[in-house]
Amino acid sequence: MNGRIKLYFQGVFWIIVYLVLTLTPLFLLLLGPVPAGRGFWREFSVALGFAGLAIMGWQFALTARFRRVKAPFGSDIVYFFHRQISLVAFVFILSHPVILFITSPDTLQLLNVFAAPWRARAGVTALFSVFALITISLWRKRFKIHYDQWRKWHGVLAIVSVAFAMAHIVGVGHYVGTPWKRALWIGYGVVWIGLLAYVRIVKPWMELRRPYQVEQVGQERGNAWTLTLRPDGHKGLVFSPGQFAWLTIWDSPFSDSEHPFSFSSSAAHPEQLKFTIKELGDFSERIKFAKTGQPVYLDGPHGAFSIDRHPHAPGYVFITGGVGITPVMSMLQTLADRGDSRPLLLIYANKTWDLVTFREEIITLQTRLNLRVVNVLEQVPDDWKEEKGFVNAEILKRNLPEDRGRFEYFICGPEPMMNAVEKTLDQLGVPFSRVHSERFNLV
Amino acid sequence: MRRKYSTLLTASIGVAIVLLAALFALLENMLGQ
Repeated sequence: MNGRIKLYFQGVFWIIVYLVLTLTPLFLLLLGPVPAGRGFWREFSVALGFAGLAIMGWQFALTARFRRVKAPFGSDIVYFFHRQISLVAFVFILSHPVILFITSPDTLQLLNVFAAPWRARAGVTALFSVFALITISLWRKRFKIHYDQWRKWHGVLAIVSVAFAMAHIVGVGHYVGTPWKRALWIGYGVVWIGLLAYVRIVKPWMELRRPYQVEQVGQERGNAWTLTLRPDGHKGLVFSPGQFAWLTIWDSPFSDSEHPFSFSSSAAHPEQLKFTIKELGDFSERIKFAKTGQPVYLDGPHGAFSIDRHPHAPGYVFITGGVGITPVMSMLQTLADRGDSRPLLLIYANKTWDLVTFREEIITLQTRLNLRVVNVLEQVPDDWKEEKGFVNAEILKRNLPEDRGRFEYFICGPEPMMNAVEKTLDQLGVPFSRVHSERFNLV
Repeated sequence: MRRKYSTLLTASIGVAIVLLAALFALLENMLGQ
């Protein structure tokens, strides 16, 4: 089967699985002896509460980094969906008490934590936990919460929310009166906690058994550093060019202080892995202080942004900005190592000529590949002959090949650039299915 | 573009759940003993 069609069907399959897992518990509750109805609005609000909890629970699966699940969509989209659907779940969870308060004002007394039964206290605790979870996630940067701290709190609040919501359901007992219904919801809870245990215990343990060592830390143009790793006691990691891994350094894999970075080296050399990291935050600014021989742990490879998913393309176009060059560098290096002779175009945007990461390496790669490079600079030197400004429709029209609809496109760079390029490619008639993008802001 | 599809899916799931919740409430009131 054609790879693209196979991925399409896989994507549809996982969406159906998700819908079934999220929606069926609601209807299963109707099977068997159904308790007496308590009016439309009350049951409606309860249904929204159950659905909200099911969505929140399956978030553990969305973030468990199952490669098969993410393969058809790409990691960035799975995380994007994770963020969006959490807002939907929050609206449902919040609607549950709000509808009750409006339609049965006597239920307002359940908010009195001193007099309310424990089942109501559990519900209120779950609600506030979800609220806190959403708030720190939406406005992490505004609240100046450190990424590592946020990750820890994100996990804690997620567990608290789901655990107290389960306690609330069991405590109220209206829909879980029969043993099998109670077993169903407890089973759900066990699966969700199991998923969490897989991510926080099983995966770190597997990482610990396959450590890496820092071989070298080298400075690059554009305020970036390349971290070169060697596998310690194993053969390394087989990846597709353009993919990324979660990297832990200075900490144990159990510490949950990992950060995602794209490989910048050739996939033909799994025994020597390179990550090129721009100084953008606390963690990335520390990379230059890594010491030779220091242990590093990797969870990967992840990601769908790779030429290897489109091996039969007549050629590739890479459109990148700044440090977005890293996955593209991995793809170019790999193509060179494979002796690929297909036409390649790299449109590479930077602020100044001095800040062009891999400037010299790209020139060398042009001697090994059928690669045309178009540099786009915001601030150009006096004798500049290439493009100036930002990557826009004119620049793309001028430089894209005549038969542009046949090429596969890979876009990676700052958010506004990616949005603009995706839109322009669409206007220029490049089929959506041929445009692949990688967004670094996973979290 | 992929984000548009993702947003569309999220919105569709949201609307579907609201409709199903309403259906659930109706059935519950009809079938409840």
